[in-house]
Amino acid sequence: MMEQPLLSVRHLSIGLSRQGTQLPVLNDVSFDVAPGEVLGVVGESGAGKSVAGAAIIDLLVPPLRRTAGEIALRGDRLDLMSPRQMHRVRGKRVGFIFQDPMTSLNPVLSIGKQLKDTMRTHLRLGSSELHGRALDWVTRVGLPNPERILKAAPHELSGGQRQRIVIALALCAEPEIVIADEPTTALDVSVQAQMLDLMRLLHKETGTAMVLITHDLGVVAKMADRVAVFYAGRLIEIASTRALFQSPRHPYTAGLIGATPAPDGQGGMQVVAIPGAMPGVDALPPGCAFHPRCPRAQADCRTVVPPLVVLGTGEAACLHPLPERTAA
Amino acid sequence: MIVARSLFSTFRSAPGATLATLAIAALFAYAFLVPLFTADPFQLAGMSIMDSFTPPLWMDGGNPAFPLGADDQGRNIITAMAYGLRTSIVVGVSAVLIGLVLGGALGLLAGFVGGRTDAVIMRIADVQLAYPALLLAMVIDGIATAVVGRERSATLAIAIVIFAIGIAFWVQFARTIRSSVLVERDQDYVAAAQITGRSKLAIVMWHILPNVMAPVLVIATINLGIAIITEATLSFLGIGIPLTHPSLGALIRNGNAFLQSGEWWISAWPCLVLVVLVIAVNVLGDHLRDHFNPKLRGRS
Amino acid sequence: MILHFVERVLQTILVLLVISFVAFMLISTLGDPLGVLLPPDATIAERNALIARLNLDQPLLQRFWSFVMGILQGDFGLSYRTQQDVGAMIAERLPATVELAFVSLLITIVLAIPAGILCGVKPKTLVSRAIMLVSIAGITLPNFVIGILLIAVFSVHLGWFPSFGRGTVVELGNWTTGLLTVSGWQAIILPAFTLASFQMTFVIRMLRTQLMEVGHSEHIRFARARGLSETRVWFVYAIRNALLPTVTMLGLQLGNIIAFSVVTESVFAWPGLGSLFLQSVQSADIPVIAIYLIFVGAVYMLINLAVELSYPLIDPRLKRRSA
Repeated sequence: MMEQPLLSVRHLSIGLSRQGTQLPVLNDVSFDVAPGEVLGVVGESGAGKSVAGAAIIDLLVPPLRRTAGEIALRGDRLDLMSPRQMHRVRGKRVGFIFQDPMTSLNPVLSIGKQLKDTMRTHLRLGSSELHGRALDWVTRVGLPNPERILKAAPHELSGGQRQRIVIALALCAEPEIVIADEPTTALDVSVQAQMLDLMRLLHKETGTAMVLITHDLGVVAKMADRVAVFYAGRLIEIASTRALFQSPRHPYTAGLIGATPAPDGQGGMQVVAIPGAMPGVDALPPGCAFHPRCPRAQADCRTVVPPLVVLGTGEAACLHPLPERTAA
Repeated sequence: MIVARSLFSTFRSAPGATLATLAIAALFAYAFLVPLFTADPFQLAGMSIMDSFTPPLWMDGGNPAFPLGADDQGRNIITAMAYGLRTSIVVGVSAVLIGLVLGGALGLLAGFVGGRTDAVIMRIADVQLAYPALLLAMVIDGIATAVVGRERSATLAIAIVIFAIGIAFWVQFARTIRSSVLVERDQDYVAAAQITGRSKLAIVMWHILPNVMAPVLVIATINLGIAIITEATLSFLGIGIPLTHPSLGALIRNGNAFLQSGEWWISAWPCLVLVVLVIAVNVLGDHLRDHFNPKLRGRS
Repeated sequence: MILHFVERVLQTILVLLVISFVAFMLISTLGDPLGVLLPPDATIAERNALIARLNLDQPLLQRFWSFVMGILQGDFGLSYRTQQDVGAMIAERLPATVELAFVSLLITIVLAIPAGILCGVKPKTLVSRAIMLVSIAGITLPNFVIGILLIAVFSVHLGWFPSFGRGTVVELGNWTTGLLTVSGWQAIILPAFTLASFQMTFVIRMLRTQLMEVGHSEHIRFARARGLSETRVWFVYAIRNALLPTVTMLGLQLGNIIAFSVVTESVFAWPGLGSLFLQSVQSADIPVIAIYLIFVGAVYMLINLAVELSYPLIDPRLKRRSA
């Protein structure tokens, strides 16, 4: 449906080796991200959304590893690259924002050192230029007194300030796409909103595409152009944010949205909590992984794994999808 | 019993520990059985100058009566090493026991009395950490020499070495037992049992005993390795046990004099036995530690 | 920060005073200095002069005070064995021990740190496994056995290095050095390796454990995610985090290292403080033993104090505000 995707993920599968067996953590996932687009990736923890993000730039930590799939960035196959080539993609073409600002900065090196090291790796700049850019980035992520910040060690900054630095570190080499893995989860609620505003502002300024991984539908509603919903290692629905919130086709998505306030206040979505819990990767039921919790489950749901099919403007993986609802 | 059985079952999955245990058993048997059937080679009757410097069997001039060779006094190396190993083991085990008794008593005292007594005992423990077992043992040996003189009987020399090494080990035992006492001391059941007229010390002892058994066993095993090395080093340096009643260290010291002239076997065999013993004890100690400390299990 | 500094320095001084007191009590209660130091036909005047020299006519605490003051001014008392000034004996032996310690530290830094990094970064390679296997020897083999082994192979069998002594030494004012002659360097290699074997093992194993731990941390993953090269990730981003605990733990092992220096010096007949101490133990030369005790305690305390106070240079987290 998109003519020229920036990032294209096809049939991505990730396995967890445990005692000689491979547990599927992510199963045959495909999606695209267009230039400048923000794709929200939502799901409960353990649904596979974070490992999908890490797999894009080959950052999976053993025993996790990619078992199948193609990943292309503007046609360049990331999955075929050597470690040396991958180093030139990480940071330079794909930025990555980590979840916890308390642990993702090196505690014994100054902010300036970490920022300049990252830029020096990817950009050909003299030392005075580097310094100027570093100051510039500190200012752009909204921190006062940039000279002092550059000299500071991470522990001298607050959690929110550190996450701003993490964002600057991910963006400073001007990547084409940024993968943000739960960028606000570890922060105080009051700081979360500031951070989203900052990311929106920077997104508007730079035009960088973004994959925003989160379990928070509120964040997605605020930021994303399109939303991909993960459940038990599978992509079960993907649609434009507007369509997804207005008319979810997968019962799980509907339940997920039901548990959160509608984005524009006029959705009138019924609040229905989903009974039960998502199965772990070592205890996947046969057929549709959601069927034990699904109010619409029928006999075929227990045996057939539903493929992702086009439904209206989006796609969903459900044998008995909800009918399309039009705006009231 | 249960502890013993589950410990035994872990050996099956740890071939290194099994091997180490077998090696220790074999060395103990060697050290305590051979002297039963042989004359003491360190008495005049056990020496035969005619046979001195006989090389091991497979070398030119080897003699079937001396499979591993003979030393400068014509002592059979196999017999001499059994006697030496026996002394090493006795000294090592006794030193650890002294450390255990001393540390146990001081740990109980510190934990039980608390306050200033506790502070003083624990500060002494801190300061002593600057001085490792070897250095401390050397100093104590020097002090003992000042008191009783260098010319002393072999029995007294052995007693001094045991004490000198043992005194270095009290700190670890004391710390372990003290922390156990601190945990148990203020428990409700202690107060309850006190009302029935039993002594508080007896109650606490009764309750901490099962808790401290495992860590004490681990510390004792690890310290046994250190004690054996320390004794061997002292004797090698000539300030431990005299050659009239040798340990492995004294045998190595004796043989070391002939290393330059090519009679390597006089020092090499006792070195080998010492190294095997120490490695076996260390492997066993590591295994016990991993077994009793599940937190450390599975880490490299 | 300054308060903390003062507190730690005061603590160290207090502990050193306690150690000095124990050492002083050894000297004052053991042995009979007059009987040992005076010739049998000494006159009353000689006897009184010695009593005054040793402050034997004063009360205990005052004698302790003059003992401490004496040490601070370089007067360490008289040796029972040689009847020489202990300070002069130490000054004569100190260069040999300092040079031995220096070269063994150099060996440790040059060999053990790269080996430890290799074992931590690539723990599964054949070389790393081999290093770990050999390093077990450094922990389990008694120090003197390593010395004998090195002598047997490199001195007796191969004949590359001498098995005892310092070689040719050169006088530089009050300092004698063996580091300016070829024979001096040949002589120091084997003892320095023997002494270094323990530290090297320790550094390799600590660095490996620390690096493997740091390697799994989020900030290293983030550094990789930003495209920093593996070299930079390990040598700049991981090593600093791993070095601090390694240096701290090594500092706490200093007592062992000093004890091993006694053994090493004895095996190689190295004319340093260690062999002086050993001779003193053998001849029950209590004043020298006591001074050596204080010396070891002081070196241990001061080096560990220096390590602790230098933490903020390595790890900014430990820099207190208001510094």
